Amino acid sequence: MDFSRSKILKIALLILRVALGGIFIYAGYVKLQDPWQLFAAGVASYDVLPMWAVEIVAKTLPWFEIAVGVVMISGYFFRTASTIICGLLAVFFTLIVRAYLQGKEINCGCFGGNEPISPLTMLRDGSMLAGAIFLCVMAYRNRRTPA
Amino acid sequence: MKVVALALAALLPCLAAGPDVNKGKVLGNPSAPITLELYSDFMCPHCKHLHEDILPAIILDFVKTGKAYLIFREFPLNIPQHALARPAANIATAAARVGKYQAVNDALFKSQQQWGMSGRLWETVAPVLTAEEQKKVQELSHDPSVLAEVQRDVDLGMRANVNQTPTVIVTYKLKQQPWSMWENYELFKGYLDGLLKK
Repeated sequence: MDFSRSKILKIALLILRVALGGIFIYAGYVKLQDPWQLFAAGVASYDVLPMWAVEIVAKTLPWFEIAVGVVMISGYFFRTASTIICGLLAVFFTLIVRAYLQGKEINCGCFGGNEPISPLTMLRDGSMLAGAIFLCVMAYRNRRTPA
Repeated sequence: MKVVALALAALLPCLAAGPDVNKGKVLGNPSAPITLELYSDFMCPHCKHLHEDILPAIILDFVKTGKAYLIFREFPLNIPQHALARPAANIATAAARVGKYQAVNDALFKSQQQWGMSGRLWETVAPVLTAEEQKKVQELSHDPSVLAEVQRDVDLGMRANVNQTPTVIVTYKLKQQPWSMWENYELFKGYLDGLLKK
């Protein structure tokens, strides 16, 4: 069997793409299981958006996460999808770290429900961001269709 | 399968209310679909705001309509500025045993700033009790079972991830969710209405 470097890279990219896409679909789906007001309360607790914007984010972000996750897994618009995911994760990660440093004892809101921000949350989101940055770099480096 | 689901549904109010619920610290129908456990601290200004401005709306919209069962839980914060929070919680819990929890609750929040500054906790509570009740409450507020009850509330809150006051633990269909965003009551109302529509 010939496991060339490019083949391993292609497999790694495929796994990362499917994993990140799947996580985004799951994150959106979980949020949609509860009334939107729960996610809105989570968003509001970060104290970065006015209430009208919180409402818009709470109602649209879960659907957007699912859509971008599906596109990411499909492999179409790879550069666009990886850029969006990278941007979203950068925003999420920044907000989580900011809240943690401010000493806010709030829920992350990443996967709905009740998950207080902790070093573990930051490690998880940071790892996802690192993966997304890697995908993004590869997407821009290789103009061909990804694996 | 259906029988198990029905049995679980029948058990839910009992589980939510639990054996550790002081009957003097509840409002509403125990078999209501939603259980709200309100964790508060008598020295916390946000708890006063919730108690005086938001709680009446919650009671009107959800408790009196039979949609929610409300349980009052003590969560005195362990910080120097709230040194009287636990004695206040002890007195309120003792008052619950003579059926005067709500009156004491109202009195403590109403003049929170005054007794918080002066330390005259008992003088705040006494006027809402009869002479006989005063005697009982004073005795009970040092009773180990009352102190243990307050501590049990705190432990329950810690287990439910309560990390600030006021927090309401919303239990619906066995799922627990803490809520501590009180800037906008409509959001909380919408959340509960949304749960009931599920």
